[in-house]
Amino acid sequence: MSWHAEDELLQRYASGALDAANSFSVEAHILACDDCRMRVPRDTTRLDAIWNGVRGSISAPATRFTERLMRVLGINAHTARLLAATPALSTSWLAGIAATLAFIILASHNKSGDPLPFLLVAPVLPLAGVATAYGRGVDPTYEIGASAPMRGLRLLMIRSLAVFVTTSALAVAASFALPRVDLNAAAWILPAVALATVCLALSTWLSPLRSAVIVALAWMAVVIVSLAVATGPLRVQTIAAFREGEQAWLAATALLGVLVLVVRRNHFERMDR
Amino acid sequence: MSETNVQVTSVRKRFGSVQALGGVSFEAETGITGLLGPNGAGKTTLLRMMATVMSPDSGSLRLLGHDPTDPLARTAIRRSLGYMPQEPGFHRSFSAFAFIDYVAILKEMTDRRARHAEVIRVLDLVGLGDQARKRIRALSGGMRRRLALAQTLLGDPELLVLDEPTAGLDPEQRLRFRELISDIAVRQTVILSTHQTEDVATLCNRVIVMDEGIILFEGTPSELAEIARGRVWAAHERDARATLSWRTGDGMHRHIGVAPPGAHLIDPTIEDAYLLLVGHRVVAENVA
Repeated sequence: MSWHAEDELLQRYASGALDAANSFSVEAHILACDDCRMRVPRDTTRLDAIWNGVRGSISAPATRFTERLMRVLGINAHTARLLAATPALSTSWLAGIAATLAFIILASHNKSGDPLPFLLVAPVLPLAGVATAYGRGVDPTYEIGASAPMRGLRLLMIRSLAVFVTTSALAVAASFALPRVDLNAAAWILPAVALATVCLALSTWLSPLRSAVIVALAWMAVVIVSLAVATGPLRVQTIAAFREGEQAWLAATALLGVLVLVVRRNHFERMDR
Repeated sequence: MSETNVQVTSVRKRFGSVQALGGVSFEAETGITGLLGPNGAGKTTLLRMMATVMSPDSGSLRLLGHDPTDPLARTAIRRSLGYMPQEPGFHRSFSAFAFIDYVAILKEMTDRRARHAEVIRVLDLVGLGDQARKRIRALSGGMRRRLALAQTLLGDPELLVLDEPTAGLDPEQRLRFRELISDIAVRQTVILSTHQTEDVATLCNRVIVMDEGIILFEGTPSELAEIARGRVWAAHERDARATLSWRTGDGMHRHIGVAPPGAHLIDPTIEDAYLLLVGHRVVAENVA
């Protein structure tokens, strides 16, 4: 080969400062000439980063159905990945919720047609989900996560909200299979919100599971007391929590729960004692 | 920032009736510090405190110039921290890549392209680059350990806290691990715990021997070996006067303890010194 590229020419070629015509001829030359090709200056750091980026795109797992669904709903990619690791959003968990709902819907198809069984159980389902959304017992990477900078409150809220919305959506869908679909069928929603927010507020003191158990027991107590003082046939309005007037108390409880959560939010960053 | 990146002062911790740490103080700077001690020595408890996962009953820590009891400072520490727990847990249905990606998100790497490149970088560092798409449940124990190590390297942290990182690795993997850690520790502070005196000999700039919640020794590995100088001897027959003795590969018996006059003294190793410090427990167990 008679002509070889000078260093200065190669430098300008590599940095993109060379015009198109000369770039083409340099490129044609170095494709054929090993010596000159080796002399092209390389920014190895940048090349490594680019190469790793390519390999990253190849190796990144195909987004699973649930993650793609979340993206459609407007959730960004990294939040979707955090949610994908939530046990309560797994297929098996949601199938369990669906099965429970099917069972209690069937139980609501009784003589009076009153959706009482459904209304009593429905608030507890999102609560169960929220209890298992976050915490040492259910998250295998909890220990690593505890030493990570992401605020615990953020992870908790993302997951709890996602689980609550998903489980409630299933319950709402199920309620259309009730014998009578009227406003009564939605009476469980405010209790569900109240139970979940109180559970989250309590988990600034106790573990999520323990908080959920306490709240579930409190709900059972409220229901039992209502049934005990009831006179006459058992109807939806027998349970205090479903009466329109009393639902205002539930809303207030939910707001109180949110307030406590906001005030004590730093307690999710606490170190173990 | 001062050279001493880790300062532990009079730290105590009790779990019910068990005194896990009974007043531990030490400092660590750039380089590798090894915590050597038997099970129940308090190593994991101490490491968890250095990883800002647990707080002491009394005493204080200073990590990378910050006080971990302050929430804002704690987050600052965590941004420059990599922690490998003793029992790393995984979402078993995740692939290796997905798991590291998940931890990277927990470490606040929100830019997807940069994050994915970083995930590949750390997987390559531990030799799992070509296993990226494999599910964790399909990985061997040694590979899972390497995966747990990989997540600690995300973001090039200043402080690495590793709890028994070489446990369950075969000799070749352990060698590779040591090479990896040696490269990293040039710029960073690494605190690791181990049972293996070999890890200490080949890897650590400083070693701390612990047992039953207190520090028995702090210094360099050669200083550790020196405390057994004059207390190690060899003989053809087993000598009952030794604190500990065992048969070596060449048919001789190695003894540790108060050497009888005229004994054939030999150069002490780190293992000899370690056994001298904690071996009384072995003896007590044998007698009981």
